[in-house]
Amino acid sequence: MTDEPAPRLTFVDKNRKVLLGCLAVALFFAAWQAVFLFVPFNPLFISKPSLIADGLVSLLSSGSLPEDLRVSAVPFVYGFIAAVIVGVPIGIVMGWRVRVGYALDPLMTVLYASPLVALAPLVVVFFGVGVPAKALLIFALAVFPFIFNAYVGVRAVDRLLINVVRSLGGSEMDLYMKVIVPSVLPYIVAGARIAIGRALVGVLVGEFFAASEGIGFAIARYGDLFALDKMFACILVVMIVAVIFTEGIRWAERTAFPWRVGQ
Amino acid sequence: MTDIDVMQANVAAVAADDEFAAPTRTLWQRSEATVLGTGGVLALLVAWEVLPHIVKISEGTKLFFTTPSQVVGTLWNMFATGTIWTPLGVSASGFALGLGIAIAIALPLGVVIGRSATLNAMFDPFITAFNATPRLVFLPLVMLWFGLGLEAKVVIVVIGAMFPLLINTYEGVRNADKVLINVVRSFGANEWDIARLVVLPNSLPYIVSGLRLAIGRAVLGVVVAEFFGSEEGVGVMMVKAAGRYQVDVVFSGLIIFTVLSLLMTGLVKIGEDRLTRWRPQHASEF
Repeated sequence: MTDEPAPRLTFVDKNRKVLLGCLAVALFFAAWQAVFLFVPFNPLFISKPSLIADGLVSLLSSGSLPEDLRVSAVPFVYGFIAAVIVGVPIGIVMGWRVRVGYALDPLMTVLYASPLVALAPLVVVFFGVGVPAKALLIFALAVFPFIFNAYVGVRAVDRLLINVVRSLGGSEMDLYMKVIVPSVLPYIVAGARIAIGRALVGVLVGEFFAASEGIGFAIARYGDLFALDKMFACILVVMIVAVIFTEGIRWAERTAFPWRVGQ
Repeated sequence: MTDIDVMQANVAAVAADDEFAAPTRTLWQRSEATVLGTGGVLALLVAWEVLPHIVKISEGTKLFFTTPSQVVGTLWNMFATGTIWTPLGVSASGFALGLGIAIAIALPLGVVIGRSATLNAMFDPFITAFNATPRLVFLPLVMLWFGLGLEAKVVIVVIGAMFPLLINTYEGVRNADKVLINVVRSFGANEWDIARLVVLPNSLPYIVSGLRLAIGRAVLGVVVAEFFGSEEGVGVMMVKAAGRYQVDVVFSGLIIFTVLSLLMTGLVKIGEDRLTRWRPQHASEF
């Protein structure tokens, strides 16, 4: 790496950052692989990248990994959609009607702050180990970001803009399409980003606790079997999925709501 | 009476009305949020309490059902007989140790990453990946490595609480006022002085909001660590109770964790207010 005076080209700066990032990741895996040249390797305690790659390939070719992901995705989708359908209207009503907001705000805050995961044993006792229990857990964790972000979003709608649209003869429809939706939607999408992380926690808790299939169950089982290469492979897959979701939404936010960048 | 006199009288009357009307209105307006908020919580609790009196609940369902009064009674019993102190102590020590270690790692690392563009670029993929991933995914691995004791719990809390703190610290450091940094540097400050005099005070609001997030994550870490791999603690108590259908104990545990979380967050808020007294009002808003 040469230490030239920084050229003031943004794309060079950007490339530099990406390159450094890739370099760091490559270094990390290389160091992980190389350290066992000096340290005795115990496959019951740790794995190494080459074995993890083999494990990943075997999991993919045997079809067990796609199957686990599919099983986990079902309650995830149900719970998440339910969270959107329930959370967004509640948040909008809380923002629209001031008194409803007053009445529900403390309750929602307490529920949001409480580690609702703690109810997992109860949910499992109530609903068994199937899709409903997991979906409910995911719903309970994912609904609050939607409620709060819709609530804040509605309250953040600029009164001035509403008055401007009205003064210039805009219809009720214009009001919604030009002011309200554009200002609330970014909040809801930002809420979705938070909710996805929490929903993934719900999937994992549900499956660690009581399940017979699914990606969380696979991780726990490979751990019990001391099959660390496969366990690391599954963990890696979960990380990749999580990054794709969160960064995907972030990208969507940047592309769809450029006026929100920097907030 | 002339028109003007009438007008003045009217104005005076209106003014007097306003003077009398205004305080009562603001009192209601000020208390409205509190009253309605308390009302909302109370309404839920009352509805929950009277539900079994209105709806006939079958014997089987009764096994899974509890009322707020039962939960309060159970909580009271736990504290009165002192049975709660041992698990609470175990959970609290895991929480405190983990959060302490997370702060000790995240603060210096955040400052260093925030001050160096190269390190920032190199750490960024790892931080993004770990922050997006639910840290819970490492739980089986951590249990494999550290067993069922305090260490595993502390490790889970640390990896949960570290990232919000780390990210907020480096965001705060990066947003520190460049002019101030240059001024201090012109006066011969080294990197340590810059961190101490400019960067840390300026990033305090970021760090504090990171700390609030970290507290929530740390409590979550304690809960899940105790659910899946511990021998003692409030979480263990809850899992065992759920297995025995003692729903009131499960809710008591949930309340304990919630209160712990809210209490710590409140303490941080108080600490923040004290530490940022010097700051002009508008700047302390994050």
